[in-house]
Amino acid sequence: MQKGLLAGIKHGEAALETRGITKRFPGVLANDRIDFEMKAGEIHAILGENGAGKTTLMNILFGLYQPDEGEIYIGGKPVKLRSPLDAIDLGIGMVHQNRKLVSAHTVLENIILGHPNAGRILNLRRTAKEIEELCARYGFKLDLNAKVWQLSEGEKQVVEILKALYRGAKILILDEPTSALAPPETKKLLASIQAMARDDLAIVPFITHKLPVVLAISNRVTVLRGGRVTARLETAHATEKGLAKEMVGREVIFKIERAQVTRGKPILQVENLSALGNKGFLALKGVSFSVHEGEILGIAGVSGNGQYELAEVLAGLRKAAGGRVLLDENDITHAGSLARWRHGMGYVPSERVDVGSIGDFSLVENVTMNFYFDERYTRRGFIDYRNLGKLTEELIAEYNVAAPGPDTPACSLSGGNLQKIILARVLSRKPRLLIANLPTQGLDVGATEFVRNKLMAAKKAGAGILLISEDLDEILALSDRIAPIYEGEFMGLLAAEQTPRERVGAMMAGVRPEEPKP
Amino acid sequence: MFEFLARSLEASTIFTLAALGELVGQRSGILNVGVEGVMLFGATLGFIAAQVTGSFLIGFLVGILIGGLLGLLHGFFSITLGGDQVVSGMGIWIFGFGLTTYIGNPFTGPLGMGRIPKLWGVSPFFYLSIMLIVLTRFVLTRTSLGLKIRSVGENPAVAEVSGVNVTKIRYLCVTVSGMLMGFAGAVYSLDYNPVWNYNFLMGWGFIALALVFFSMWNPLILLGGSLLFGALWQLSLNPQLVLPGVLSRYVWRMAPFAITVVVLMLMSTRWFRRRWGAAKPEALARPYAKE
Repeated sequence: MQKGLLAGIKHGEAALETRGITKRFPGVLANDRIDFEMKAGEIHAILGENGAGKTTLMNILFGLYQPDEGEIYIGGKPVKLRSPLDAIDLGIGMVHQNRKLVSAHTVLENIILGHPNAGRILNLRRTAKEIEELCARYGFKLDLNAKVWQLSEGEKQVVEILKALYRGAKILILDEPTSALAPPETKKLLASIQAMARDDLAIVPFITHKLPVVLAISNRVTVLRGGRVTARLETAHATEKGLAKEMVGREVIFKIERAQVTRGKPILQVENLSALGNKGFLALKGVSFSVHEGEILGIAGVSGNGQYELAEVLAGLRKAAGGRVLLDENDITHAGSLARWRHGMGYVPSERVDVGSIGDFSLVENVTMNFYFDERYTRRGFIDYRNLGKLTEELIAEYNVAAPGPDTPACSLSGGNLQKIILARVLSRKPRLLIANLPTQGLDVGATEFVRNKLMAAKKAGAGILLISEDLDEILALSDRIAPIYEGEFMGLLAAEQTPRERVGAMMAGVRPEEPKP
Repeated sequence: MFEFLARSLEASTIFTLAALGELVGQRSGILNVGVEGVMLFGATLGFIAAQVTGSFLIGFLVGILIGGLLGLLHGFFSITLGGDQVVSGMGIWIFGFGLTTYIGNPFTGPLGMGRIPKLWGVSPFFYLSIMLIVLTRFVLTRTSLGLKIRSVGENPAVAEVSGVNVTKIRYLCVTVSGMLMGFAGAVYSLDYNPVWNYNFLMGWGFIALALVFFSMWNPLILLGGSLLFGALWQLSLNPQLVLPGVLSRYVWRMAPFAITVVVLMLMSTRWFRRRWGAAKPEALARPYAKE
């Protein structure tokens, strides 16, 4: 492998080029003759929905997959990337969305792991100094001796960037760089990325739906759809609407009709609720709120700020460390899940595969899990599968689930379809209170629209909904009231309609409002 | 009293060597519950080789070699085939117990070669085991190789994308691990108690295995643990030395095992892990397959 093809590369020189990259998987043409090129000092975004072939292309560029056809050129020379190590040696760095870090080790240990110059006997003082210089240059603040599990998602991302830079990367692939960041963090990251581009790095962010980020940061953008390049343009000439159309293939409505419902009496009342996280520390630190009939309360926050624990405590899957939960004025703080379902609570967990469904079970059986205690579908302790089969068929039809029939195993469904069936079984019970944790995460634009409309319809029918989401736009579009959560505490409780986006964004990052309400 | 101390240090040497082997393997993510089996092989074949050739050196070399081979075998099952490491380890133990009983039976009796000279009244292997502890700790915490080993044990996928050859590191560790266990067995049968008879090891390998969990994967705590268990074991052989007339020797002999069970139970509680942090290698006993 020729190393150092990119050593001494100057601004504007060809850094990376692909010609006719094609990759087939059984039954799918994931990449279809993709041409892509970029120069040193350029930020060239690749935009596409889930399933557009972004991940495949990214894995090819990092040597994880070999293309079936086509060539890759680095610094103008054809290369073969047989493994990530080849890619690293050639100066390609990757910042993974699902962080590739050893969480029990320190930041420093993670950065120097596998580095050829780490020395047989580790010279931690020298390497720390070199890494600190990198931090200063690009404006990162990080304790190199902290353990990775103690870091926030944003900090972990910085570790990955530093690791790639310290390895001498000249081409930096960023997988969904802003998906786990609060708006102010995003701003900082974008500034750092621009500083790197000024140092003649070539930067390729892969982005699914954060169009404003694409517009704010990139010089050029390439749009993928169905494995093909559908557009390639200078960002200066691009608009959000135009990009969305290229990406989805049709006009996308960004606004969702907010149903105006008069708010009824409170269903859920939470007083000073706290809970421990998996690491044993207090993750939720005393939150109080109520959810009323016909209302969506949006919990906005970057993951890992206690919202996951909140959802689990409310669903009865995690012990409350303190405080009270009242459902229709019954104290359910220590009640089991079943008691909560009987009281009219519905739960859409964030882990569709691990908690929301059992992959080897059929759709009927998965639907049954929300009905085995319902007298309409049981007879003297026996489950009435005939009726449940009928119900499942109806749900499949009503929710447009792409599944051959009710006996299909859940694991054969795509994420969007699985989410539809999970939502369908909960909503068909007509819950008075719905806890929806990241209901549209990882779904494509079509499925996202569908789920949001269903939530809105449930609200219209009088349900109270607690919506937990990391997507600020989703929170703003759906909620009546917004509670930004940061490090286990609410930063406030705002009426959605009068609140500017920036204000919620700042509160998600821990900025408290100047004037607390009396 | 000095005799008692010296003998407990010698007993602890065997725990140290075997448990250190297990620790090295576990830090790279490979669990070998067959420590006892590997030790039995090292002890029996080392014993036979020494008796046949009349050379201690050859005896030890054979013990180390067979340990290394069994480590490789365990590696083949758990790394290359991606099999269940507990099943493979149990297999090695059962296989070792059966086969060494069969092979060793004709050699029942004392070694009959004189004793290995002591150094300051204690077996020289005691000093060697201390040096190996220090060396292992240094390698694990201060060197690039150690960082690679720890990373492979924590998160092999991350190590792989960082340019570490997971398979190579794991094979290296599991082989060295087996060599140390085989050596521990040979030290038992050639130095500590140079007599071969049926079931002579009496579960020492399992105590060594438990010691690794007890140590929280830290070589220095491991050393402390083996010193403690060495003393307990020695006490169980001659309880009258320290506390004459208190309880039967069979109760004393049970003590190391009973303490092991209690310690392991305490350590597996949520309270303990929260208090002391989970030092267990994240990927322990999990096979790794490349994407």
